[in-house]
Amino acid sequence: MPGTPYPKEQTHRIAYTKLTEQQIADKLSKVAVSGPTSASPLSDVLIGKSIRIVTDKGPALAYTFSRTNRLSVAENGGGAVDAGYGALTLSSVAFFSHMIPGTQRGYAVVIDQGTNLATVFELWFSGYEDNREVQREIYYGYVEQPGQEAPKARHVTTNRVEGKGFYWKQDTGAETLEFYPSAAYSNFVELSRLGGELGFCAPSDYIKINDDFYIYTRTECEFSGTFTAYVMDLNRVEQVGVRLGFDSNDQLEYYVFRGKGEWLGQIAQFEKFGDETGSPVPAAAAGQTPAKGARRVYRPLRTMAKMSKADVDAAVAKRASAFPAATTGPGAQMGGNRGPSTGWLAGKTFTLRYDHAPAMEYRFDDAETLNWRKEGDSGWTKARYQAWESTPGVILYGHLLDGAPNHDGHSIVVDFHQGLVTCFNGYLNTPYFANEAGVKILFGVIEMEGLIPPKYNRHQFTDEMVGRAVSQNYAPGLTSMHLYTTPHSLSWIIFTDADAGGLEWSGPAAYVKIRDGLYFMYWLEEACNGTLGTILVNLHTMRDVGVGYSCGTNGLSMSAVGAHERLAGRFDITRFYQVKS
Amino acid sequence: MTTSTDTTSTRRSFLKGGALLAAPLAAALPAAVVADDRLRARLAKLENEAAIRELHQTWLRRINTGAGAAATPLFADSEGAAFDQGVRSIAADHAGQPDAIEVAADGQSAAGRFHCAVEIETTIAQDCTLARMAHAQGGGFVRRTERRVLKVEYVKASGAWAIAKVEFASV
Repeated sequence: MPGTPYPKEQTHRIAYTKLTEQQIADKLSKVAVSGPTSASPLSDVLIGKSIRIVTDKGPALAYTFSRTNRLSVAENGGGAVDAGYGALTLSSVAFFSHMIPGTQRGYAVVIDQGTNLATVFELWFSGYEDNREVQREIYYGYVEQPGQEAPKARHVTTNRVEGKGFYWKQDTGAETLEFYPSAAYSNFVELSRLGGELGFCAPSDYIKINDDFYIYTRTECEFSGTFTAYVMDLNRVEQVGVRLGFDSNDQLEYYVFRGKGEWLGQIAQFEKFGDETGSPVPAAAAGQTPAKGARRVYRPLRTMAKMSKADVDAAVAKRASAFPAATTGPGAQMGGNRGPSTGWLAGKTFTLRYDHAPAMEYRFDDAETLNWRKEGDSGWTKARYQAWESTPGVILYGHLLDGAPNHDGHSIVVDFHQGLVTCFNGYLNTPYFANEAGVKILFGVIEMEGLIPPKYNRHQFTDEMVGRAVSQNYAPGLTSMHLYTTPHSLSWIIFTDADAGGLEWSGPAAYVKIRDGLYFMYWLEEACNGTLGTILVNLHTMRDVGVGYSCGTNGLSMSAVGAHERLAGRFDITRFYQVKS
Repeated sequence: MTTSTDTTSTRRSFLKGGALLAAPLAAALPAAVVADDRLRARLAKLENEAAIRELHQTWLRRINTGAGAAATPLFADSEGAAFDQGVRSIAADHAGQPDAIEVAADGQSAAGRFHCAVEIETTIAQDCTLARMAHAQGGGFVRRTERRVLKVEYVKASGAWAIAKVEFASV
């Protein structure tokens, strides 16, 4: 019986070893001499050549290549050092990488042999508090040509890759889906390594060689710290690159690779027409000079409150708030474009009979007060709620379940046209951090006077949203885009002031089809801020309404979510998630 | 050669003429002093207005370059320098009325009215993941431009003009 491709722990849950500098140095010592491995034959394009690469604000590198895997390098006129290297070519572009023996540093170098322009990535370990996270600095320059003037042109950072997505298969057999919905971050789905259940995000660089060839990098910050860089030919969908880092078992990966892929589509960009600048996110705060290798990295786990069950119980006892009346306060801005709530439920009584959870009985006093009890209980519990009618006959409402041992909150879509209900049952006291929300998905029917529910029909999970990108404007200055990268995860991209895609992060998710063009979905901000976000997306009105459920040191909160949306396109990816046998 | 009595120059006629001329000259002295005072007052007014304009331009430069703290010495009282921290830039509104500076008769205070376009930045509270991410990438604010009237009060202290109070009013 074949095994599954899934990891024991997902990428964001792995407790990566805090490798010491010595451990890293020890592991690098061998590959610095041998050079990176390669599943494909290494290129001999550089053998016998001596070149000098001059960079604008970085090193001058004098190379002599003696064999397919041996070079000597002198930095800034210093003494030459022998090292192992690996080179691959893609059309006129030569790509090679090597480490500097006796150090934790190395280089990845891209040379366009047609123009002699070069981009140099200096790479090093132990440059951040987590030693294993590879650091990079990018230098632009050229290969010196005796007797010729230095070229004025350079490779440049760009947003021309933004919005693209590719399936890649490396010569190592590794298969990934890689999306570039931001000019500063990217999203990758490890199909072969991790089974493609979830997508993850990493800070990235995008550099233009010419209109057809681009350089991409990502550093898996907050995870293994592994660095990947490749040159890609957008037309032929081919790549050559390098992977450097320590995997979840602390095994050093250092190899150059060749890959082929498939174009998955192009989603929208939102910058002004004519704006092709890259690096939309400044490396340092205004007025400050960025340090070598500096970049903005979203590190949510560092700032997230990490609470025990006792902490959670105490915080919830102190404050549990649902839909505060004030327009400010936690999460208020996320509901800026939620639209008017509905009072249709006021005075109604019904039972939501879930297939695999206790039935919930409801009596609605007015537009913002309900009473609930689990079927069989005698007493009613009063709760504050808010409801929105996303489309005629379909209402989303939410409320906290005061007294529930795990401080549950329900986000519920009641579909009176079909007599169906779907509930995202949020709860706390989850295994990793007690204040991190978990979710149970409850399907069922509405029992109500005058309404005969179906016996077998239910709302269904769907992959109809998978691959789509939808932007959300919650409030002035608060705009993001969801990219639904797998059937079980989504990512969100934050736009910069210039409407370029900036920081990006992701979390587990699920999508339920209520009817054509109407989807109820959730995402969990795991190892992030612990929030459960739930929205009912109406593709006809392009508005979503929903409920956010979160717990922190200030207590438990349920708040409204509502945004004006725009369709930003779709990647053709559902085929990658079909079971093949 | 003919002579004309009308044009004959004699000592007597000179004296007569001189007396005739001398009379109005003596009578005009107080008027000249008044004119001089007026000129002096006008000069003082123009100098005051020019100094206030220069002060205003200096203040604008410091606000527009983000050096708001450096604007404090331009104020008579550092407490008066407290200013809407959300203001990022102030530009002349050439579609509005001309700048007006009125210097008080005693030359010790003045008021200015400047029609302007004010860029105001509002910081987004970091109360959700998106807002935190926006801040993490150097954003997390909303900017809007509004047409306003900048009302400024000035005082002269130790012979130099300083800003006493700044406020924005709706157009």
